[in-house]
Amino acid sequence: MQLFIAPGDELPIYRQIMRQITDAIAGGRLGAGEKLASQRDLAEQLVVSPLTVKKAYDELEREGLIRTERGRGTFVAERAAVDPERQRQHLRAGARRLMSRARLSGVSLAEVVALLHEVEAELGLAPAGDGLGSAGGDGTPAPLSDHPFDQPHDQEEPES
Amino acid sequence: MNVVELNNVDQMYAGGVLALSDVSVSIEAGQVVGLVGENGAGKTTLMRIAMGMLGPRRGTVRLFGLDPRHDAVGVKRRIGYVSEDQILPAFLRVDRVIDLHRSLFPTWDDALAMRLAERFKISPKAKIRTLSKGQARQVALLCAVAHRPELLLLDEPAGGLDPAARREFLETSIRLLNEAGTAILFSSHYLTDVERMADRLVMLHDGRVLIDSDLDTLRESYSLALFPANGAVSRERLLALDGCLGVRERSGGLRALFALAPAETSELLEETVGIGDAPCHRIGLEEMFIELVGGQA
Repeated sequence: MQLFIAPGDELPIYRQIMRQITDAIAGGRLGAGEKLASQRDLAEQLVVSPLTVKKAYDELEREGLIRTERGRGTFVAERAAVDPERQRQHLRAGARRLMSRARLSGVSLAEVVALLHEVEAELGLAPAGDGLGSAGGDGTPAPLSDHPFDQPHDQEEPES
Repeated sequence: MNVVELNNVDQMYAGGVLALSDVSVSIEAGQVVGLVGENGAGKTTLMRIAMGMLGPRRGTVRLFGLDPRHDAVGVKRRIGYVSEDQILPAFLRVDRVIDLHRSLFPTWDDALAMRLAERFKISPKAKIRTLSKGQARQVALLCAVAHRPELLLLDEPAGGLDPAARREFLETSIRLLNEAGTAILFSSHYLTDVERMADRLVMLHDGRVLIDSDLDTLRESYSLALFPANGAVSRERLLALDGCLGVRERSGGLRALFALAPAETSELLEETVGIGDAPCHRIGLEEMFIELVGGQA
């Protein structure tokens, strides 16, 4: 899988790497069990510090999206490895931000939902309920990327 | 133990101008530190002091726990150095230059030297003066790293190179990092290079350390707040706030840099100066640099 990073972008490089891998997994371009480039190879390929790649991989592993097996490499996690509670919290925090932004700019809930459908199509995600691709046919929603909200927040933000 | 340990270092230029003032910097094994600052900010002086080429006027310098002034040979054998104005003997052949360096370093790794020479596609028989600037810099890099140093000091290593040669130089440095885990201190005016390579950033300004921070923290926990030219808040008031690193006046308005994430900056401004609606942006390295050292207008 090809990644591209842009120094000087608003996101730090490790987040750019995380975002692209997350998108690829969510969009099915990286399937469960598929092997990722080694940290060393990716550092050389992207010409970035090996510690930056390590940080991106460590974070993705903490989020349960990938797993590293000593001596074998790094792989996309099976669906079961994703902690659903953690993902939900992530999504909730993002949803709060999205809704408060929508409210501020006078965008209705229906319009936000329409927007989400558009984004889903853009990312090449199967419509929920179809269970296509690597989703496994059990209707489990794919783990979504957090990037539409710029930054994952572990704690929920107080409503203001 | 830290690879580099500078404590409260002062240094003067000839003529009594302060080149470094109370500078403390330490580098851990395997860390890549980008050193930035305007011309004359003290970057080269800092490198030379770290190498023991200059003694500090005040303060202490330790490399691998040793004093480079007392243990010059022992220390130099464990470091590599490349600078923009480094001059290799123009009349010598590449292989002779390499031989020369091999004879100086007991830990010289012939296999590594060969691999690099092959990758650079530089003929060992070529005379230095026939090489392009980029190729000459690559020979210098080869000579600086083939003894597998624990610390690599790169002073404007990409200065004067075209973008392709610069990238090639970075790629080689990354490979070396991967292979040997060498700690690197490099100075550069190319902030995108710093962003690619460095884990940590040290910014010098007028001989002082203005910023010493993990690069990602810098990207995520710094923000720029913008104030219109309506006099709602003064420059002095902003500068007095906790976390405010600098205020610049541009086209009548004020721009204040904070060591806080945008949301935190907004909150602080609301609580302290009662301005809740000043836009607070995350900011790239280049903009941060300009905000800190750029002029007022």
